[in-house]
Amino acid sequence: MASSLRLYLTCIRNTLEAAMCLQNFPCQEVERHNKPEVEMKTSPELLLNPVVICRNEAEKCLIETSINSLRISLKVKQADELENILTKKFLRFLSMRAEAFQVLRRKPVQGYDISFLITNYHCEEMQKHKLIDFIVQFMEDIDKEISELKLSMNTRGRLVATEFLKQFI
Amino acid sequence: MDCKKRKDLHSVTDLVLASIQIYMITLIEMAAIAVNQFAECVTCHAWSPDQSMIALCPNNNEVHIYKSVAENWERIHVLQKHDQIIAGIDWSKSSNRIVTVSHDRNSYVWNQEGSVWVPTLVILRLNRAALCVQWSPKGNKFAVGSGAKTVCICYYEQENNWWVSKLIRKKHDSSVTSVAWHPNNVLIATTSTDGKCRVFSTFIKGVDAGKPRKSGSGSSLDAKFGEQIVQLDLSFCWAFGVKWSPSGSSLAYVGHNSMIYFVDQIGPSPSAQSVVLRDLPLRDVMFVSEKLVIGVGYDCNPMVFAADGTGSWSFVRFLDEKKSASSSARYGSQLTEAFGKFYGSSKQGTSNDKSRAGVHDNCINCIVPMKTSESNKITSFSTSGLDGKVVVWDLKNQEDLLEYM
Repeated sequence: MASSLRLYLTCIRNTLEAAMCLQNFPCQEVERHNKPEVEMKTSPELLLNPVVICRNEAEKCLIETSINSLRISLKVKQADELENILTKKFLRFLSMRAEAFQVLRRKPVQGYDISFLITNYHCEEMQKHKLIDFIVQFMEDIDKEISELKLSMNTRGRLVATEFLKQFI
Repeated sequence: MDCKKRKDLHSVTDLVLASIQIYMITLIEMAAIAVNQFAECVTCHAWSPDQSMIALCPNNNEVHIYKSVAENWERIHVLQKHDQIIAGIDWSKSSNRIVTVSHDRNSYVWNQEGSVWVPTLVILRLNRAALCVQWSPKGNKFAVGSGAKTVCICYYEQENNWWVSKLIRKKHDSSVTSVAWHPNNVLIATTSTDGKCRVFSTFIKGVDAGKPRKSGSGSSLDAKFGEQIVQLDLSFCWAFGVKWSPSGSSLAYVGHNSMIYFVDQIGPSPSAQSVVLRDLPLRDVMFVSEKLVIGVGYDCNPMVFAADGTGSWSFVRFLDEKKSASSSARYGSQLTEAFGKFYGSSKQGTSNDKSRAGVHDNCINCIVPMKTSESNKITSFSTSGLDGKVVVWDLKNQEDLLEYM
């Protein structure tokens, strides 16, 4: 299990390494504008083919690249309804604080749970390998976080139930 | 006990070997002769004709001019006129003028009058950002590539005291990323994000006196202004960084699909070679001689390409490469092991960090030759990148490359 996760993450890391070749590029359509092309999608020639990396049906990663920006969208494993709710709440919590993360997108791309938007300005300010490390670390941690949340949720549920049922003894 | 002692002894030998190796490396290898951190991030730079001054854009709307004073670089001028990021700077070799272009659609020609640089606005007639600029070899024209899918050829009109811009329209399908002048002062090559490289004639009556002399490119010189001589459709992805060889007989450009293209016999039937890289794409190239090309890009390390006797191009090596691997593989392994001991990191870790161990630690996006007046040969050049460093490289001590120079 762990080794297949490592392969998945290595694949994403290598794809990001190749995809994160961004440069400052002003908008071709609107005067004096400079916008992430991957969001605007005004000139099809400035976009590269999107890549989808799937571990299984529930876990996948979409990497869309353009000349000056890169968008990574993740779908996090959700085995049951509880995980589904936890993931939704937790990632919403993060997305609402997107400005603190700089590269986090406020709204995920449709069909995915969370999206990152990396522009050439991020590559200028930050080191490329640190950015990639951050994304991969995030993916590693998110699964851990969700399963921990689930565990504590269950423990708490059990505790509350025991306390409640005590009065009937 | 005895065993442990022997182990200690081994590690000491390792360390001694390693330090000898490090010493030898510094002796043999020093392609980078000067490293200067000028800013957080340098978008482009240019040298004054005598190479005593450097003009660079620190990733904003200013141009900073530094002068070398007693081994140090001192900022002597700040040129402020643009209101968006400056995309291109070129310093004329013949007339000591600086031309700058910016994403704000404007271009300025700066003349030094006394101790101040006086700007002259050039009406480019663009409605999108200007992306690149280059002076023609004679210094009487310059070319600007733009996001409006056009190329502007600008020249000085004496009677109006004005820089006039003539446009090459409707030839490009996307932004023009790079322009390069042929040594004959008439032909220009352009690359564009539509993946094509094109060659145009820019013959302007009154500026280019008479018919230019015939050279390698043959009859194509009779073409009118803006006539397309050839269109090279080799790349499937964005093309960048076109350059002519010193004689003007061939040109090289790069594609974002990690390819570099060499084209000979520019004309009706060009012959092209593509070299595929196993590393990240390049951003810019420079001819050192007819047989030697340096490419820079996202790998943060200049790459050397050379043509053999038959004229076929191939990748030679990274310029900033430590020689330990080639000199002896046996010491190589011990060296990395000893390095690991020095820094307390695993072998895996050091090998992963290899790509970042060079002089530059972010994408290199500009390479400029530094011509010395005494010889026509280019032996040194400078690179700048998103890490804000300007690095001067010298090829004189690179024995394996001398045969190509």
